[in-house]
Amino acid sequence: MKAPGRWLAEHWITIASPVVLLLVWEWASTTGRLRAVFFPRPSTIAAHLFDLALDGTLWTHTATTLARIGWSFSLAAVLGVAVGLAMGLWRPLRDGLDPVFAVIYPIPSVLFLPMVSFIVPAGDIALVVTTAVTSFFLIAFTTTHGVRQIDRLVVEAALHYGARGRRLFTTVLLPGALPFIFTGLRLGLGFSLIVVVAVEIVSASRGLGALLWLSWQVLKVEDMYATFFVIALLGALLSYGLAALRARLLPWVPDVGDR
Amino acid sequence: MGVVVPVAVLVLWELCSRFAILSPRYFPAPTTIGWVLADRFAAGDLGSEMLVTLTRLAFAFALAAIPAVPLGLLMGMVKPVRDVVEPYLAFIFPVPKITLLPFLLIILGVGEPAFVLTGSSSAFFQIVISTLAGVQTMDPRLLDVGRNYGAHGPRLFWKVILPAALPAIFTGLRLGLGLALVTLVAVEFISAKSGLGHLVFRHWQMLSTPEMYAAFALVGALGLVLTRGLRALQARVLTWQEDIGV
Repeated sequence: MKAPGRWLAEHWITIASPVVLLLVWEWASTTGRLRAVFFPRPSTIAAHLFDLALDGTLWTHTATTLARIGWSFSLAAVLGVAVGLAMGLWRPLRDGLDPVFAVIYPIPSVLFLPMVSFIVPAGDIALVVTTAVTSFFLIAFTTTHGVRQIDRLVVEAALHYGARGRRLFTTVLLPGALPFIFTGLRLGLGFSLIVVVAVEIVSASRGLGALLWLSWQVLKVEDMYATFFVIALLGALLSYGLAALRARLLPWVPDVGDR
Repeated sequence: MGVVVPVAVLVLWELCSRFAILSPRYFPAPTTIGWVLADRFAAGDLGSEMLVTLTRLAFAFALAAIPAVPLGLLMGMVKPVRDVVEPYLAFIFPVPKITLLPFLLIILGVGEPAFVLTGSSSAFFQIVISTLAGVQTMDPRLLDVGRNYGAHGPRLFWKVILPAALPAIFTGLRLGLGLALVTLVAVEFISAKSGLGHLVFRHWQMLSTPEMYAAFALVGALGLVLTRGLRALQARVLTWQEDIGV
């Protein structure tokens, strides 16, 4: 841990830059240089954020979105890791599914909403399943790659020392693939947020995406900015928080996504 | 081997749909979808919708790449620039870019500029970050060698820094194009009145499912061609790059 004075000396520009921007914005929109209809003053936005938080609106919507992310991420993670491991270990499955994945993966997840809503009941369940689609492919894809990149020598050494079946899996294959699985999960979680917001915009009446879209439709511009701020905060928390968590819990696991 | 499973899935789907094990109303047989696809292409409207999406994609990509690459390079080489810009990148990068759409809609009005710029924004941040990473992770020995041989200023940039960062820039452009497509199609689905994304939405609302699947398949094909094509291009153009990565 460095002395706070030195830390400040190194990072003062990074801190000063947003502060200056907010001050200029505040000034420009107070004096009418920026149209306050489109760019309300940051202090007004903060006040609206505060109001939304006080009357509970923000918490309900945030909780709804978080619950959806939780469900769809769990669904994607369990299925994605399982299918990914199976694909990594069993070649025919990999050969068979690779082309299917290649076609489906680049399709934006929102487009799956119609199909999903034909299969499962519309509403929350369709929303959660749609959100899980892209994360699933991402996690399965990275997990497969994680198993594939394990050094053959390591596997052969383990085989020579008599590791078979479950033992081989838990002591060699799983730890070997773990960095990739973790990266897949982190990216998948990030995608869950992106897709859940998009799907909420299209089809939900609750959740942060819905709040943002409804605020736009009734032109509550301040609420739009406030909601955007919360979504951004959630995004930062999910991506940087998870990276910090990994550094603390699994310090030996490099994040292969940091390139 | 690679074709067996997709073909098997399609045949199974065909049979299930023909014998009404799957409701043909929601899951029309692949051959039906294929005929509709061919028919719509012949009529010209599917092609023109695809052209709309591709035109938007071209504008969105150009508007993102042209400022993003210089900014990323500048950030990589000049620390004060990096310090000033970094907090915004860190704040906006993890945000779903589709949330920028309502802001652009009120500022620019409902129309092409707002749609295209939303697509742009998702590519922009990806390209800046990849470019920056490319400059920052370059082997410092390359710089030393370049300097020792008397390269500095523009010469150092053109001969050493840019070639070293090029693979990362290309990766950024490739990922950015994919992101722009995904975001644009989502924007079309949500709020535009044309393009492949809107086609899926409209036929969903009208429950004309064969047309819906046809548009859906076209989006998939477009994504596949773009991602695969660019990967092949990258492997061919940047032969000094060892690993293309995911």
